[in-house]
Amino acid sequence: MKRFKISKLIIYLVLIIWAFTTIYPFFWVIINSLKTTGEIRVNSFALPTTALSEAFFNYSKAFERMNIPLAYRNSIIISGTVTVAVVLIAGFGAFAIARYRFLFQKFFFSLLVAAMMIPVFATIIPVFKIINSMGLVNTNLGVILPQIAGNLSFSMIVLISYIRSLPSDIEESAFIEGCNVFQIFFRIVAPITKPAFATVAIFTFIWSYNDLFTQLFILRNPKSYAITRLFSEINSIAGVNYGLMAASVVLVVLPVMILYGFLQKNIIRGMTAGAVKG
Amino acid sequence: MDSMIYRRKWPLIVFLGPAFIFLIIFLFYPFLQSVIDSLHNTLKLGSPRGDFTGLENYKRLFTDPMMRTALFNTGKLMLFTLVFQVGIALLLAMMVDNIKRGAQFFRIVYFFPIVISATALGLLFNLIFLYNGGMINQLLANFGVKAINWKEGGYAFITMLTPVMWQYVGFYFVILITGLNSIPEELYEAASIDGAKGLQRIRYITLPMLYNVIITCVTLAITGALKVFDLPWVMFPGGIPLGTTYLTGTYMYDRTLNFGEVGYGSSIAIAIVVIGVVAAQVTNHVFKPKEY
Amino acid sequence: MKKRIICLALAALFCLTLASCATSSPSANPGGSNNSPVGNNNSPAGNENPAAKVEITVVSSYGGDDGNRANYEAAVAEYEAATGNTVINDATSSDETWKARVRTDFETGAEPDVLFFFAGADADAFVLADKVVPIEEIRTVYSDYGSNMKDDILNTTLASPANGKAYVLPMNGYWETMFYNSEILADNGVTLPKTWDEFLAACETLKTAGITPIAMSVSEVPHYWWEFALMNNAGMENHMVAPKEKGDDAYNAYVQTLKDIKDLYDKGYFPENALTILHAEADMLFSEKKAAFFADGSWAVNSILEHCEAAGTDPDQVKFMGTPTKDASKRPANSYVSGISMGFYITRKAWDDPDKREAAVKFVQHLTSDEIVSKFAGFSSTATKNPVVMADAKPIQQNAIDFIASGEGFVPAAQDTWNADAKGDLFKNVQFVCAGEMTPEEAVDSFLALNK
Repeated sequence: MKRFKISKLIIYLVLIIWAFTTIYPFFWVIINSLKTTGEIRVNSFALPTTALSEAFFNYSKAFERMNIPLAYRNSIIISGTVTVAVVLIAGFGAFAIARYRFLFQKFFFSLLVAAMMIPVFATIIPVFKIINSMGLVNTNLGVILPQIAGNLSFSMIVLISYIRSLPSDIEESAFIEGCNVFQIFFRIVAPITKPAFATVAIFTFIWSYNDLFTQLFILRNPKSYAITRLFSEINSIAGVNYGLMAASVVLVVLPVMILYGFLQKNIIRGMTAGAVKG
Repeated sequence: MDSMIYRRKWPLIVFLGPAFIFLIIFLFYPFLQSVIDSLHNTLKLGSPRGDFTGLENYKRLFTDPMMRTALFNTGKLMLFTLVFQVGIALLLAMMVDNIKRGAQFFRIVYFFPIVISATALGLLFNLIFLYNGGMINQLLANFGVKAINWKEGGYAFITMLTPVMWQYVGFYFVILITGLNSIPEELYEAASIDGAKGLQRIRYITLPMLYNVIITCVTLAITGALKVFDLPWVMFPGGIPLGTTYLTGTYMYDRTLNFGEVGYGSSIAIAIVVIGVVAAQVTNHVFKPKEY
Repeated sequence: MKKRIICLALAALFCLTLASCATSSPSANPGGSNNSPVGNNNSPAGNENPAAKVEITVVSSYGGDDGNRANYEAAVAEYEAATGNTVINDATSSDETWKARVRTDFETGAEPDVLFFFAGADADAFVLADKVVPIEEIRTVYSDYGSNMKDDILNTTLASPANGKAYVLPMNGYWETMFYNSEILADNGVTLPKTWDEFLAACETLKTAGITPIAMSVSEVPHYWWEFALMNNAGMENHMVAPKEKGDDAYNAYVQTLKDIKDLYDKGYFPENALTILHAEADMLFSEKKAAFFADGSWAVNSILEHCEAAGTDPDQVKFMGTPTKDASKRPANSYVSGISMGFYITRKAWDDPDKREAAVKFVQHLTSDEIVSKFAGFSSTATKNPVVMADAKPIQQNAIDFIASGEGFVPAAQDTWNADAKGDLFKNVQFVCAGEMTPEEAVDSFLALNK
């Protein structure tokens, strides 16, 4: 027997309205990916008029412009590695700052915030010089290393706040039972922090994935392109090819959506497990 | 509280070492180069370093009216971001936490704007706000209202603000919902036994337990406002109209890449970092993070 | 718990292994050692050895959605088939980020073998560092290098402003002029204006009729109108003379140019939202037949064609004209801006490598051959001694060709000689001058200070 609450109705209404604003742009991108640039400029909000069987010309053009399967592979390798590495390294670092009291602790935290503030335009040239001297231009690793650094600060800040709010009694009892610090990290803190790890992972993946600027400097050989490179292939001196751009957005976004849907389930499972443990 | 576990400090090297090695090599050292750049007048990004000019670029920071505009606008953006972006995200997170049906759907869908490239979003919003026949002006025309130029004077800032804030609500939403879900169920159960209802639960359990996470969101919001670039640039390149909508992020880009003034652009970057660190410190002092 | 750790560690290991595998597969650093050719090649440079396969890296701006991209890739493929060499085709559409990357490459030793880039001030850094080879030096070994090009253009228009030497062989050039919609003019009883006063009168008529006379983005792209107005005030002969001190002739011409633009703005001949309209939106305005005049260049012809077709307006009505003149003796009515600003450099890196030298030279010679250049040029200009013909031209394209054919002279873009920061400064200030927040004199003073 359900009780009809006005408050619940209002809540759903608000949530659905907001959901509409977040879904519509995606829908808009998809319909525009089936139109020509001219059509988009005339009315971007109209549904495409070409028959579905012939409407995928922007996508075929995209496949002509670039080796898309190879680009996907490169992107997934790069962003996947960056994500795993960041989760591990940031996890370690955040645990240290959240739990330990040491000299200059506040200073280290400020360094983290400072690192997060540094705009990528300011560092790209020295970073390129370093990568070049390591012989890593045109390689996945050449993009992975700077991106790990770029995402560490944000991830650590989020993880620090999460770990700080965990009650430390379980750690205490584990210590009394004879666990060392590393065991405490891997067996107790890390599993409970899983939801935060998942959150950090998805953002790191997205930012690494979408970081076109770094890629433009480091990946120049068409064989080494990542999928975001598609966005460079839509401009010309005459302007932007909007139809191709919409198709590019869909192609680029697809794997991320799949990944998020996947990770998202883990967030819930992780969360319930953590909550019950308490 | 200095726990026994963490008295021995040597594991710190293992825990913090890797992180700081990466940060030093790929962030701090390059940033040092940027600092040195700010003391020279290098032109055209990628060229060899120009002449040494000492603190001239910094003097210019203080007298440049466009920089002042950028700082002022960024400050306003920070405020709006805190109240609306984090605020709305908090509301949505609490609402989604409360419902049983469809929570997963909302969780997935609220995330969309972050995944879509800012350039595509910029294009969408340009077409919504377009003076000649954009979506809003078309709607107004249907009601007989004259077209409004959404990018001029009075409206410009709000028109720039709206998409920027809207895009990242999902970001804070996910962070907050992760935090919300880590609040143990038992606390709520205990509270309801004591007779606490809806709003009281929020006030006495949810918000206090979320305290740390909210502070983090505040820090991220403030620092995010200083750096934001993609979306505002696509809609308001060069701070149109008349340089009034510059933000620190877009102004730095304009100077470095379009004006080719690498030295001055670097000094703006340093200003961004310094202000960000100071703002974060202030936040963390005013709202001390709580340990449990 | 242990399982999770092992899983995580394995995952990390796996990813890192993949990453390092990927390190070796695509061609690694251009900054490192060169790839040794397959088969023996001990022959000195200049000796044809069909068995030798060389890999050269070519950086160009024929990427993105460039209209000539397909032509470029076809030409590259022809070269590869004819010589057996491989080309790493690093093509990105030109923007400031790309330019910065090219400069950085030279700074770090990661530069390519052949570079298609600007012949002007953007290349100063690496020209002065002698990292590219002058044409005269190339001709000491390959006497017919660029022989199909007009030498006077190579040595003047395309000479490096840094040291006056010729380094580049071009493909095609560009022109900039005014586009207009003849149907709008006819519908409103306006004859094509030839003088500036006629132009102002025409704009007034159009404005009264509710049409936006000139589609223009004051904040984003004022530079076309800048050049056109300057032509009127400096005259053809002095268009390229930049002011050296306050009050000299060029200074006054620059001030008057800003006054002219401001005059158009004050009279309301620009769109109502001129201060916030983006260039793409101005383009839309013109293509949708809501504006009569539009300033742009040769690259815009095909996109205007596409936009008109989508908007349902008639692209055949789009025609081309020189900016109306103030003084026909100083500047003929049918004159426009035109230039060639980009071409192929051969880098010292390739030149000093006996295997790559031959391959690089052959590449440039193939791409700049009459046949290929014709394909690229369409209706824009070239430096070839022989003229270019375009088959199957659509009416709008033919209109463009006709205009150029009937042209009474052209000038290069004055802005190409300015310093980057001076240029950015002056163009940024056009909007402030229009809005009345800055006087034309102040803007030119500011420019003068930066353009030392």
